[in-house]
Amino acid sequence: MEQNMQRLPAEQLFQKEIETLIANEKYPVPAGWKMSPRSVFTYICGGKSGDVEITPKYIGHERLVEIAISTLVTDRALLLIGEPGTAKSWLSEHLTAAINGDSTRVIQGTAGTTEEQIRYSWNYAMLIANGPSREAMIPSPIYRAMEQGMIARVEEISRCASEVQDALISILSEKRISVPELGVEIPARKGFSVIATANTRDKGVNEMSAALKRRFNIVVLPAPDSLEAEMDIVETRIKQLSGSLDLNARLPEEEVVRKVCTIFRELRKGATLDGKQKLKPTSGVLSTAEAISLLANSMALAGSFGDGNITDRDLAAGLQGAVVKEDNKDGRTWEEYLENIMKKRGSKWLSLYQECKELNR
Amino acid sequence: MGGRVKDKGEKKGPHVFGIRHLSPAGAYYVRRFLDEVSPELLLIEGPSDFTELIQDLGDPKVKPPVAVMAYTEELPIRTILYPFAVYSPEYQAICWAREHGCECRFCDLPSQVFLGIEEQKRARKCQKPMEEESPTAHVYRRLGECSGDGDQETFWERTLEHALDEKGYERGAAEFGRSLRELSMGYEEDDAENLVREAYMRRVIAQAGKEGFSPDKIAVVTGAFHVEGLLLGGKPMTEKELKKLPSLEVNKTLMPYSYFRLSERAGYGAGNRAPAYYELLWDGLCREMPDYTGRRYLAALAAYQREHGNMVSSAEIIEAVRLAGSLAELHGAHLPALRDLRDAAITCMGHGSFSEIALAVADTEIGTKIGSLPEGVSQTSIQSDFYRQLKELRLEKYKSVSSQELSLDLREKLTVKSERAAFLDLERSFFLHRLKVLGISFATPQAVRQERATWAEQWLLRWTPEAEMQIVEAVLKGDTVEQAASFELRERTTNAGISGIAEVIEEACNCGMPTSMEYATNALQSTAVSAVSVTEIAETAGRLSVVLRYGDIRRLDREPLVPILSQLFLRACLILVGECVCDDSAAKLLAQSMTTLHQVSINHDFLDGERWLKALTEIATRDDLNTRLSGLAAAILLEMGQIDSQDLGREVERRLSKGIPAELGAGWFEGLSMKNHYALIGRLTLWEKLSEYLDTLDNEEFKRALVFLRRAFADFTSEEKNQIAENMGEIWQVNPAQVSEVLNGPVSDEELSMLSGLDDFDFGDI
Repeated sequence: MEQNMQRLPAEQLFQKEIETLIANEKYPVPAGWKMSPRSVFTYICGGKSGDVEITPKYIGHERLVEIAISTLVTDRALLLIGEPGTAKSWLSEHLTAAINGDSTRVIQGTAGTTEEQIRYSWNYAMLIANGPSREAMIPSPIYRAMEQGMIARVEEISRCASEVQDALISILSEKRISVPELGVEIPARKGFSVIATANTRDKGVNEMSAALKRRFNIVVLPAPDSLEAEMDIVETRIKQLSGSLDLNARLPEEEVVRKVCTIFRELRKGATLDGKQKLKPTSGVLSTAEAISLLANSMALAGSFGDGNITDRDLAAGLQGAVVKEDNKDGRTWEEYLENIMKKRGSKWLSLYQECKELNR
Repeated sequence: MGGRVKDKGEKKGPHVFGIRHLSPAGAYYVRRFLDEVSPELLLIEGPSDFTELIQDLGDPKVKPPVAVMAYTEELPIRTILYPFAVYSPEYQAICWAREHGCECRFCDLPSQVFLGIEEQKRARKCQKPMEEESPTAHVYRRLGECSGDGDQETFWERTLEHALDEKGYERGAAEFGRSLRELSMGYEEDDAENLVREAYMRRVIAQAGKEGFSPDKIAVVTGAFHVEGLLLGGKPMTEKELKKLPSLEVNKTLMPYSYFRLSERAGYGAGNRAPAYYELLWDGLCREMPDYTGRRYLAALAAYQREHGNMVSSAEIIEAVRLAGSLAELHGAHLPALRDLRDAAITCMGHGSFSEIALAVADTEIGTKIGSLPEGVSQTSIQSDFYRQLKELRLEKYKSVSSQELSLDLREKLTVKSERAAFLDLERSFFLHRLKVLGISFATPQAVRQERATWAEQWLLRWTPEAEMQIVEAVLKGDTVEQAASFELRERTTNAGISGIAEVIEEACNCGMPTSMEYATNALQSTAVSAVSVTEIAETAGRLSVVLRYGDIRRLDREPLVPILSQLFLRACLILVGECVCDDSAAKLLAQSMTTLHQVSINHDFLDGERWLKALTEIATRDDLNTRLSGLAAAILLEMGQIDSQDLGREVERRLSKGIPAELGAGWFEGLSMKNHYALIGRLTLWEKLSEYLDTLDNEEFKRALVFLRRAFADFTSEEKNQIAENMGEIWQVNPAQVSEVLNGPVSDEELSMLSGLDDFDFGDI
């Protein structure tokens, strides 16, 4: 059964680590939690528990993990915000896996998510046959989390319509759900909380209301720390993608990935990697995810129309599309970048510079 | 045991209290310690020759932060500085002594010797390359790492500042001092100095014993590191040994200090990064409410945010307090440290991003507090630096209340022998410009008659008591005039736009301060990224160009300006065309910018002239831009020889053809005549076309065009008008002299009435 699953939930994948941490617990465990905040931290950022090595699941910004855990200790809801590909859902899954030993109480937010999915819905056959009753009610993941004193997850909260987001407000401030049909109110048990994730790029889809934001402690997950870390992520993902997409092209060489990541990081940060020179950032976000799709695109170009190797020409086409998104402004920014930065990078970059310049006319 | 170690065994020693400098908890517990011991003599770590300043320092009129400073009399000026905040243990000890009528002295090496040793060290350092991390630095770094907080500042706060009682503080400090001694003694460059210092302190203690103070009645307040050295170390220093130490002549003074400066000099003893927050810690201790600090800090952040229009609810503050507490708990601490508080504030008030509360954080952690001294107790290094320079530059006679003029010739004087004399005027100019930067009203520059005088300067010098005050105030910016000026220039770059920074570069060049110039150049580079308007860029480029061209008289390296000028120029070329879609008032500014940019492009051949040419050509040929600017672009191209007579003729015909509204055509002509008039006059075809154009207009149109053409020709001199007359004469086949008479002659009554008739003419929205 397990072999047939595409992907196991975190608590099963790392079952042994979680059990060891629980067995070796030395610090007080908050109500409703399976282990102490410090052990949760060890589970996420790695370390040792007894003789067992705990693998790090989230590398780099350990302080942010501390803040996230502390937030949940104070029974506040946690909102993880970040660009695509900054491991928001990953972190939220592992937090719940460590704290509750169960990461499956999830609501996946979409434009079609309804208020019922946040609160509760009904088995209509039973509802019509017998009238409202506990049996006819289908509790939502949040409802169940409240009953059990556990943590519920809401993915992509900013994709939900605003009335659905509003449904969360009273739940988070009152910590109870009222069921007028049955004339009861379900109070949340100790340990209940919510971890939501939202994409910074989705801001335009459904802006979160200030009222809802106030009910969350917000932790912003930044883009990968270093060029190497980002290249690592890109290379791994490209490998996975090219397998499933049958791109018929060779994997990009390290040099190519380095160039793309360098350009993206510099334009994102508004400064050269060595920090010596500032430059104008573009209007687009240029996320790691875009770097990945750019390279996949270039591979598709090379595979379908070239000899299977990514050339600077393929790359330039991809870059032009990724960087110059909306108006002339981006075009000018890109030209400035080409003239002021790339042109002066030396022979390795020369042909890419020329191709880009050619295309940006 | 603990910091207040009494000598073991039969021999009785003084009471020693080990502290960390600038530590609120230390300041609080040192008072308790003194209450308990109630000494007759209090010795404090600090240069012993500063003892004479203790009286002034303890004066209730003194408002910390203040500093005691010693500075050398000779150049280069070297200083040592002991800053005191209200939460300095030393300061509180001094206050205690005054309140209790206890004799109080400093007991460390005299400042003369400190500076002497430093000078020797400096001489030695020049020969030795930089080494890797020293053992002490290593210990500090490892401390930070092992504490799990990543920085040692937080470690200190958690272990010492949050100590629950006097004993806890003492024990912590003493244990740290002893361990650090064990680990680092024998490996450190400063070991010898530390041993010498401790020997000297023992000497002071021994002397006090001879004076009749019983060791039991002596209390010593010193850095935790020295506690063991004082109690267990060897013999006191002898007179002979003291004589052997290097020594420099120094002056001493008290000076007002600021929290800002305290926060800039982070490092043990010299300052701390968050002085205003440390004062909150001190307040909390004085109120005996340990959790006061955290709540106060977060409330202050919120107050700042609200004051500046950002909503912060009380609920958010409460959440931040709770989060900070739980973060502290994660580290096994009972009180949140600054780091926890700040991170909690970012999460709860800043919505996860630091930038939202950055200003509030700076205001709450560093603050703007400035110390003050009663009048007359300060003779600062910058004052003596000022007077020395006056003397050296032979400007002393100008120090009088009546104003006197001073003319400077910045060129090298070839007739004198020494280099110093050859550049005396240049040095004077540097000095006066620095004073000007500092806003010291001693010297004001006067306009020099000759346009663009590159080598002469005219100054008006006048001494006033205000100037003296301004100099004393400048000490907060630096120890010498040059340092203060450099600080000031640096400050000016922080919030300036690019033309403001270019001004700083110009100023730094005038002041002869290459490092400031470099700093400002870097600042310009980073600010230029967001500069958007051509006018601003042109102004900046113009200034830079001036520095590049004429700066060599001041003998400064201006090479770093080259890339930045190229970048700005490139940006201007890219956006100029787009900006040319504008109304006439904006066009006026843009026209100036275009002329400046063109000037710049001619003067520096490292700039991308081809791109400039392309931009100009586009502006000249496009019909949808402001016609005046198109005309100006054409004029520039004409001047550059990029348009020949034939092209010009065709263009005039096109621009001035019948279908084009008169004001557009005339506006174009106005732009065309903004540049070199002779280039226009010399081209007969131009005038032919203009004449043909006027012929095509009907009465109404002619009246309209007349107004604009009059404006276009207003700048022409009568000489030029004569030449135009010649042209017209040739075209109309009439006597040029006659035409000239008509053009230059006074306006007749008849014509005047016709012109006033134009007043009634409805120009619409022109």
